[in-house]
Amino acid sequence: MSNVIIYTNSTNGVSVCVPTGELPINEVLAKDAPAGAIIVDDSTLPQGADSVFFDAWKLNGSTVTVDFPTAQAHKLRDFNAAAVQVAQARQLNTLAGIANAKSDADFASELATSRESIASATTTAQLVAIANPV
Amino acid sequence: MAGTIVADTIQDGAGNSTAMDNAIYGSAKAWVLFDGTGPTIRSSYNVSSVTRQGTGQFLVTMTNALADKNYVVVGSLVNGTTPTVNGVAFLAGSDYSGATAGSQTTTSFYFGTWAYPTTATNFPYTNVAVFR
Repeated sequence: MSNVIIYTNSTNGVSVCVPTGELPINEVLAKDAPAGAIIVDDSTLPQGADSVFFDAWKLNGSTVTVDFPTAQAHKLRDFNAAAVQVAQARQLNTLAGIANAKSDADFASELATSRESIASATTTAQLVAIANPV
Repeated sequence: MAGTIVADTIQDGAGNSTAMDNAIYGSAKAWVLFDGTGPTIRSSYNVSSVTRQGTGQFLVTMTNALADKNYVVVGSLVNGTTPTVNGVAFLAGSDYSGATAGSQTTTSFYFGTWAYPTTATNFPYTNVAVFR
């Protein structure tokens, strides 16, 4: 058990500031954290599986709770992005097989470029844009 | 007792020497090793705190400010003793969303940690150093 500093951040989540021990925690509170931040024992923070959902942590007074609808939404968002990526890649693989069978080098090259775009996409929005070109 | 040694080079007992600039500009001005899943600090130098802003989003605040914000942040990530991800990314100067890019100050900087290709992830071994 050790003390940490917590506060509600700009995205309405909970930031957890862990002092390294180079300075007393009260100095870190004054220097590194915004006004309103508080010191709590880290054993009072959500533990176990709940700790995984810290993007859904909410600070109520001096108590941190887990907002499960938010946690589920985040998981669904990540799953959705991965599913779109897999589906697009499979479609391209099918088309690549057709292009190769017809010896269509230009189309095969275009497909390869699309596949690289999908692989490097980092958000669901980027994947949707690739799937629906202007 | 305070004092100053002025020298252009330093040399060890075996005769190996190097320019003093290498010692001044080549040594880390701050570093921290921590477990990003806690976060839990393992060891540090000139770092007063590490703040987890969200999954894979961290803010490091230094104990003593640097002369200016033109410094280099480097890092390494390990996902446990047996790597289970096929790629990691350490993005200095920005959190995962990129919303804080360029927000590096003389006392603090943000960085994000990702598992390939899109997942913000906290890594058990997160190591960061600052050079200036």
